[in-house]
Amino acid sequence: MSAYDDRLAAFVGRPLVALRPAADPVNVPMIRHWVEAMGDTNPRYLGASPVAPASMMQAWTMRGFGAPVVAGGFDELVALLAEGGYTSVVATDSDFEFVREVVPGDHVSVEEVVEAISPEKATGLGAGRFVTTLKTYCDAAGSVVATQRWRTLRFQPVASSPVEPVETPRPRPAVNLDNAFWFEAAREHRLVVQRCLACKTLRHPPGPACPECQSFDWDTVEASGRGTLYSFVVAHHPRHPAFDYPLLIAVVELDEGTRLITNLTGVTADALSIGMPLEVEWLDADPELTLPVFRPVATLEH
Amino acid sequence: MSGFSGATAIVGIGATEFSKESGRSELQLACEAVTAAIADAGLRPSDVDGMVTFTAETSAEIHVARNVGIGDLSFFSRVPHGGGAACGTVAHAAAAIHAGLAEVVVCWRAFNERSGERYGLGQADRPMDTNADRAAYAWMTPFGLSTPAQWVGMFARRYMHEYGATSEDFGRISVIDRARAATNPKAHFFGRPITLEEHQASRWIAEPLHLLDCCQETDGGQALVVVSAERARDLPHVPALVVGAAQGSGHDQHMMTSYYRPSISGIPEMGLVGNQLWAQSGLGPSDMQAAVLYDHFTPFVLPQLEELGFCGRGEAADFIRDGHLELDGSLPLNTHGGQLGEAYLHGMNGIAEAVRLVRGTSVNQPGDVRNVVVTAGTGVPTSGLVLGAA
Amino acid sequence: MNIGDVLPPLEIPLTRSLIVATAIASRDYQDVHHDPALAQERGSPDIFMNILTTNGLVDRFVTSWAGPTAVVKRIRIRLGAPNHPGDTMTLTGSVSAIDDRRVTVDVVGTNQVGVHVSGLVEVEL
Ligand SMILES: [Zn+2]
Repeated sequence: MSAYDDRLAAFVGRPLVALRPAADPVNVPMIRHWVEAMGDTNPRYLGASPVAPASMMQAWTMRGFGAPVVAGGFDELVALLAEGGYTSVVATDSDFEFVREVVPGDHVSVEEVVEAISPEKATGLGAGRFVTTLKTYCDAAGSVVATQRWRTLRFQPVASSPVEPVETPRPRPAVNLDNAFWFEAAREHRLVVQRCLACKTLRHPPGPACPECQSFDWDTVEASGRGTLYSFVVAHHPRHPAFDYPLLIAVVELDEGTRLITNLTGVTADALSIGMPLEVEWLDADPELTLPVFRPVATLEH
Repeated sequence: MSGFSGATAIVGIGATEFSKESGRSELQLACEAVTAAIADAGLRPSDVDGMVTFTAETSAEIHVARNVGIGDLSFFSRVPHGGGAACGTVAHAAAAIHAGLAEVVVCWRAFNERSGERYGLGQADRPMDTNADRAAYAWMTPFGLSTPAQWVGMFARRYMHEYGATSEDFGRISVIDRARAATNPKAHFFGRPITLEEHQASRWIAEPLHLLDCCQETDGGQALVVVSAERARDLPHVPALVVGAAQGSGHDQHMMTSYYRPSISGIPEMGLVGNQLWAQSGLGPSDMQAAVLYDHFTPFVLPQLEELGFCGRGEAADFIRDGHLELDGSLPLNTHGGQLGEAYLHGMNGIAEAVRLVRGTSVNQPGDVRNVVVTAGTGVPTSGLVLGAA
Repeated sequence: MNIGDVLPPLEIPLTRSLIVATAIASRDYQDVHHDPALAQERGSPDIFMNILTTNGLVDRFVTSWAGPTAVVKRIRIRLGAPNHPGDTMTLTGSVSAIDDRRVTVDVVGTNQVGVHVSGLVEVEL
């Protein structure tokens, strides 16, 4: 363990927040604000003898906007984590157990104690440490009304990294008897084009019959992998988690004459021009899917 | 002129409100719209013997019929390919009536497209299947090409490249639509016109498409009642005669991604529709006093003007800049505000507006409208109508 | 009521307004819940819903099904894919345990990206 780890470990078992009363007692205006925002129409919350929504417990003791930083365990821990580069925070788990409902007039206090701080973990958000605490909520008489086990991830943000903790694969192609050969060839890094055996016409996207001569007999030819940019879009919205945006999607006209939809790589949108020469590059997207993408052909011009 | 031209008429229109969250089932929206259209026609539900909707509709005719009091049906059909179906529903209805298969046909479309399944979010995570329709997406979604805006953007970029059109040329359509919506109390964007600068400043969705090139998403329903021209004479409203009604699917047609044709700067399926409309009606572009052109995305309005013959290939940007589509121009466009301004009802609200133009009751009535052309979804197999005064 | 009973699903459109309004209603003024630029600086593509709100929505989902006599005894949740503006979260749930008056409901909330929240709520009827 490094000295830094030791300093973090010293927080375990320590109260981060000494028993701190909520700014206000449980009250109807804040309940109203909450249920309106949540779209919750349960009549118990605003009726003749209102109770607060159970899930609202944590809200009573939030520090509020622009609250002054009070020297204490919480801010010391946040500062120490920031020192380690863990400047961002996202809550990951919450486990509330409610002893009794609170009602207007109850004055809730909270105490928070660190239970564990994990070693650094690689996450989809970036390298980070999970901090687990137990918050105990008490009423004015000091009786426990609820407990909340609370886990946050304190992490080092990765610039423009996708936020999803798990990597989402590209959408699966619907593979059937008419197109399987193309995706199988792609897995072998071969760009093929379907060819009519009778009249030798190439066609893409493939199909079972030749529109020129009505033959159902076909084979494939292997394309040179060279072509030109026929058209393109720069996709910004909506964002699918499998892709990085802005995403360059193109229609490429192969030297063999057929066109296909693909992605562009090794180039940015402002450098694209219709007609520019391109060549294939293979993207092994995941164990099941390999796709041809295209990059500009290096030219002698500077 | 064919015997089909003018043989039938739209005599009733009815719609729900257009909203972002209807709070009602899609079936209820359909029932409300259908009921309103039948009442507007001065007919009773029991008079209806034919029903036509979209394959995309989630409420089959039997569900609507048994709820609104429609009894025996002798004709029912559905038209495929999303918004491309709109005018096709009227074409089916008119053909059925002309052939004697039915007398009173209701066409409708209703959905919670905003609060329910939003098409704009794309196809990437739709359930997998290996039929031909689904397999067609195998060439798109693994590359992140998944949404209608992206599909249209690919056409739009090529159109700009070939004809020198700019994003501002697309934006002018948006500005026109929003100006018309601004004076239409039923429009979502009532009282909220935009400037070209606002269009240019709006965020990218799929370059070259800005946010304000994309239509809104809407919850609502719209229905129409079609009868023979003869029967229409006995009904309360000025009939909107179906002077032309046609569908079109072109060579090497794909669903929004016909990128493999020799040229993709046109939309030949719309040319096919236009040619049929002019041949059926004996009319031409210069005989139209207004146009309701499908505007889910602005760029496709330009090739529509070209395919229908209002201007030559690549000339639409100039045609628009010259003010032809303004309320006082030669071809007032989307007087209801279009799908960018009024509501996205898969084109059916545009047909209702064309009926109002013929009746003379549009909130933005541009004077006497003898004939109006209406189109359905672009980039897909599509359809069109010419509606005219008797 | 039986084990396996399925609750009516609840779809919640995740508007920017909802994410901001609920953060403020829970007195959570962390910038990542209302300031897109600062949220991006901290490594997130946009603002996202705070955990207090997820607790509130899960509470609403189960108690609106259980009825106004239900008293919530436990809410345990784990967060996954964040709730960003423009998405929709669909809450689904089913009864997983019944012990006298105490009923446990397993809850999952999914958005376009994946599972936003999974957990359980225990109510006393
Ligand atoms: Zn052949």
